[in-house]
Amino acid sequence: MTLLLDIATTAAVLFIVASGLLAIFGVLKIINFAHGAWLTVGAYCSVLIAHWGLNPWLSLPFAFLVGAALGALTERLIVKPLYRRPLDAILATWGLGIVIGQLITLWFGRDVQMTPNLMSGTVGFLGVDYSAYRLFAVVAALAVGIGFTFLLDGTRLGLSARAVIMNESLARALGIDTGNVRLLTFVIGTGLAGLAGALLTPLTSVDPNMGVAWLIGAFMLVMVAGSSFGALAVACLLFGGAQVLVSTFLNPVLGGVTIAVLCALVLRLNPKGFARG
Amino acid sequence: MVNPTRTSRPFNSVALPALAAGALVVVAIGPIVLDRFAVNVLTRSMIYAVLAITVDILWGYAGILTFGQAAFFGIGAYATAIVATHVGDSPAMMALGFVLAVATPMLLGLLVGWLSFYHNSTPLYASVISLVFPIVVTQLVFSGGVWTGSSSGLVGYTTLPLELGGFFRLAGFCLIVIAVAAWIFVKSDAGKLLIAIRDNETRCSYLGLNTSRFKILLTACLAGVAGLAGFLYAHASGVVAPENTGFVFGTELVVWTALGGRGTILGPILGAIGIDYLSANLSGELPFLYQLIVGALFVVMIIVVPGGLAAVVTKIAGIGTNPTAIASVTVKGVASRPSAGWVEARDALIKIENLGKSYGSHHVLEGIDLSVRAGELVSLVGPNGAGKTTLMRCVSDGTLEATGVRQVCGRSIVRLTPSDIVALGVGRKFQVASVFDSLTVADCLRMARMAIDPPSVFAASRTLALPLSSERIVKLTGLDQLLDSSVSLLSHGQKQSLELAMVVALEPRLILLDEPTAGLTKPERTMIGGILKSLTEELGVAAILVEHDLDFVREISSRIVVLHQGKLVLDGSVEEVVNSALVKSVYSGGGHA
Repeated sequence: MTLLLDIATTAAVLFIVASGLLAIFGVLKIINFAHGAWLTVGAYCSVLIAHWGLNPWLSLPFAFLVGAALGALTERLIVKPLYRRPLDAILATWGLGIVIGQLITLWFGRDVQMTPNLMSGTVGFLGVDYSAYRLFAVVAALAVGIGFTFLLDGTRLGLSARAVIMNESLARALGIDTGNVRLLTFVIGTGLAGLAGALLTPLTSVDPNMGVAWLIGAFMLVMVAGSSFGALAVACLLFGGAQVLVSTFLNPVLGGVTIAVLCALVLRLNPKGFARG
Repeated sequence: MVNPTRTSRPFNSVALPALAAGALVVVAIGPIVLDRFAVNVLTRSMIYAVLAITVDILWGYAGILTFGQAAFFGIGAYATAIVATHVGDSPAMMALGFVLAVATPMLLGLLVGWLSFYHNSTPLYASVISLVFPIVVTQLVFSGGVWTGSSSGLVGYTTLPLELGGFFRLAGFCLIVIAVAAWIFVKSDAGKLLIAIRDNETRCSYLGLNTSRFKILLTACLAGVAGLAGFLYAHASGVVAPENTGFVFGTELVVWTALGGRGTILGPILGAIGIDYLSANLSGELPFLYQLIVGALFVVMIIVVPGGLAAVVTKIAGIGTNPTAIASVTVKGVASRPSAGWVEARDALIKIENLGKSYGSHHVLEGIDLSVRAGELVSLVGPNGAGKTTLMRCVSDGTLEATGVRQVCGRSIVRLTPSDIVALGVGRKFQVASVFDSLTVADCLRMARMAIDPPSVFAASRTLALPLSSERIVKLTGLDQLLDSSVSLLSHGQKQSLELAMVVALEPRLILLDEPTAGLTKPERTMIGGILKSLTEELGVAAILVEHDLDFVREISSRIVVLHQGKLVLDGSVEEVVNSALVKSVYSGGGHA
């Protein structure tokens, strides 16, 4: 039972971390390698909130806003000139990640930071005692997933975004301001990354390089999922589950590469990944 | 023979040996004039520069963005250290370490290459694999226990009996040898293939070149070079650590290459040495600020000057990238290759039965039967959306899923890649001229012959051997005067002619032409029509032509096939089709067939 909960919560955390990256990849067809850096920024937002003595829950909206604001700047200055050069965009965003990482180091130092727990202790769930916060992560992942479904299917922005995903030049010809769609998507993606970083703080240590470890897993899941949130959820459950199983029964170190290796193989056998059509 | 051969020596045949000799002198006296710290750091920097060269060839020339060279480097270093630590340190064991340090990365390079490159694989996917690979290797090192020393790495093994200065000279010597070899390779005919793949991989495979196999071999060879660098590193530094294999190191290599100037060989060498040396000097005083500056510079460089410092320097110094003084390519007609199987020319070269192709519930082609014999010039007409281009794709790419029988020269082409089908004797000209914009006209034509005449890895040819029919097109269209021009400077019509000459240079038995005259002037059309007629009538080549211009079709065709809404509605002689009421109704948008 604990194992099943481990799988569910691991998948939930992965989903939260990867969703921002997926939003950007789906619409912009750009891999945002600064994603890890935005996670770190989000986590440090929690540190700041704690430092100022505010309610730890405030760190969630704060991290989203900071991520979104920085994302807007990034889109205009760095990503926009590189839409036609996707491989260069990977590099430029990676470079940006280095810069952000170093800025954080200069500001806060290299040491691991401590943040207060948003939710402590365990709760009894279906007969086992389980970390309350990890269960909350599942709720948060569902919220993000439902939020995206609503955004895509229920709003004008979602409609435009879907149009851009399907056929960008046609969307532009129909009078959709694709530049704005891109900007908004990027901002939401980086905002989510910040939020995810803040949500991660009770689960991992906070240090300037924490984002890199998460980046690769999230990146591989997004490659497999294509541009569908449903596919991402499935991928998180499957590969997150595999990671938990390998870590539990074989070797935690190998567990760390399970996602990457399985995703690479899936892509080799079926280049479209889990995405349909 | 056109264009008299000029015997002016190319720039690099003079400058390169001079540069290499100068570098050798510098490397030889370096340890005498430099202090201990500088010698130590520069030894490492020069080894890293070797890696930067491999990244440059893969990324700068062939367009494959890779983070994986770090892993091959690390594997080479670990193989060396593991043999020295656990197996033995006699000279024979050192030699074994060397062999393993090069061979292991090469074998893994084959594996990584197989994973990364296959028909229709995307560049992004190859980069993904190159990212996963170092991560996996690093984790394996961490879980390697005593064998790999886990997180603390291996240290204290016996190294080659060289002093500090000896390692400096060894690293420098290897760097110069590899740099010269890389330079010669990228300027050779085979090296041009790298650029052709970067420019237009689709065209490469439709010239019968198996690009996947080439890229896999390239990956394996450069993995071996990275392993060699790893061997040097393990001996020179006396320590190997997990960071040497990691993807972060892989990204650093890319950063150096980008800052130095991708696609220049020299730029990445200077980038690697300069940045690594500076960082060793500055990181003591301002460690984070320094990385911050490099990172920021990198971002700005990627956005503003993707060519790196090398591009800045050449722009300021006003050095043209393509010195026109070397104009000395000669066209030489070669006799057509013996046409094995020409005897059964009366049989169908291409045979299609009940071909169907659909995207979801939308049927693009349905129940198509068509066969074409040698010497026929069949025009495929029909309104837009009738499925003409799809039909062309189905017979030139067997990996495209479709139902029914597709045969070329009696062989089923189902699941064959475009390059396999070219080898059966099918050449395809695309609707939009598909050529290599970064190459010269002569190089483009040479690409077309590469599947037949294997290219040299060392030399850049000064002559161009073309079959007579292709040579004739080159001359008729005036391309023979432009052999040294960059393709990017050609007009639309010239590019169309060039592509046609390239396809004909393949000596195909069947040519597929998708609107070869679109956007051409009347004289250009007439000329292309004449060329097609002589190819089919005199040489017995078969041609299938998609064309909208009915007058043009009427003049040159031996048979006309009409497609309408995915079905073949008419197949007959020019007279039959042109006078058919059906065709008139189809074209005037009347009732459905």
